[in-house]
Amino acid sequence: MASQRDVKNRISSVKNIQKITSAMEMVAAARLRKAEQRIEELRPYASAIRRMTRRVVEAAEHVPDLPILEEHDSTDKVGLLLVTGDRGLAGAFNSQIIRAGNRRRGELREEGTDVLWYASGRRGVSSIEFRGYGLENGYTGFTDRPAYDDARTIADDLTSAYTDGKLDRVEIIYNGYISPLTQEVRSEVLLPMQQIEFLAEEGDEEGESDGEGKDDGADDPGHHKTLWIYEPDPEEILRRLIPDYVEISIFRALLESTASEHGARMTAMRSASDNASDLIDDLTLEANRVRQAEITQEIMEVVAGAEGLR
Amino acid sequence: MARSKFKAEVLTPEGEVFNDEVEMVSTRTVTGSIGVLAHHAPLLAILEPTELRLYTSESDYTSFVQSEGYLQVADNEALLLVEDAIEPDKLDRSKFEGRLESARETLESAEEGSEERARCERDIKRFEAFLEAADNSGSPSS
Repeated sequence: MASQRDVKNRISSVKNIQKITSAMEMVAAARLRKAEQRIEELRPYASAIRRMTRRVVEAAEHVPDLPILEEHDSTDKVGLLLVTGDRGLAGAFNSQIIRAGNRRRGELREEGTDVLWYASGRRGVSSIEFRGYGLENGYTGFTDRPAYDDARTIADDLTSAYTDGKLDRVEIIYNGYISPLTQEVRSEVLLPMQQIEFLAEEGDEEGESDGEGKDDGADDPGHHKTLWIYEPDPEEILRRLIPDYVEISIFRALLESTASEHGARMTAMRSASDNASDLIDDLTLEANRVRQAEITQEIMEVVAGAEGLR
Repeated sequence: MARSKFKAEVLTPEGEVFNDEVEMVSTRTVTGSIGVLAHHAPLLAILEPTELRLYTSESDYTSFVQSEGYLQVADNEALLLVEDAIEPDKLDRSKFEGRLESARETLESAEEGSEERARCERDIKRFEAFLEAADNSGSPSS
């Protein structure tokens, strides 16, 4: 049976752990709010780009043939981009991405396609390296607060690999942010880009941009064509606008992943703190029992001694 | 005489950096420098990395270092969508100098005619413009 001192030591170490986990929970909660805000801040930019693209597509004679819109004849090499965090202790956040990546790899290999790995976040990078898969490119050091520049770097790497024929398809796997408690693993095809993506009328975004968007779709589209000045011509503008979608998609994935990370960490740390207080309760009970047993023992010894003297 | 004012908004993927009434927007498109005054004809243009100036009066202006982006003028409103808009005094020179250097190195090793090469050239152009714009706008109101 554990001595009183052992139990007390355990109680104090569990209390220390609880202090750390609850501090981490609070930090994650504060960062989560900021991360949510940044997702919100991207929205006006993304929808302005979308509206602009729609207008330019209307004005352009045709959508230019961009390499990132073209599907390659055969799919031999697929790039997988795993979006993870730099740090652990966030529940299933990192491991579910790595597991999903692994599963996808199995599927692709059955089809006879090679997988080339790209990863953002130290956790994904080290896990891919550990498995000896060979990493094409890793991006670390920003997952707490991804900047647009980081998304651009990743997008540039992937699009140039795609355009130069090093990759035939690019998929991204990341944690989509739903609420602080729920994140879902999302897998999307980044390249070749689907034209639908930028031509689609997005119901919810239209609704939200009501005030500003009136001049866009409401009146006759042919009307704009004559009035608007394009510098340079609409086709050239599209050549620049369309690749931006890849950057924006990646940036959104990075932001959602960051929010998910903080959400997952917050939840994980909350249950760790709860577990710690359960453990403290149990241990306190144990400590009392041990103390009581020692007292009983002593009384019995005294009584037995008194009996013996009689 | 004071010019008439119009609304100008600068949006980046990381949020709105400017939204106010201005007299003139001065920036550069791929075809050259441009100054937009109130009641400009509808315009859609690609922006080049340069210094962006938003004149709130004849002599006062807010200045940003902008990267690539788009300018849309319609209904007496200017909307600038740029990937980065940094206040000149917040620009981290050493960071961009370092990146310019590494972009130049990659360019050396990149294959002729590849997308990688084209991208390095774009990067170099952007970093150079950033540094140049940061130098020029050292002292506002001058």
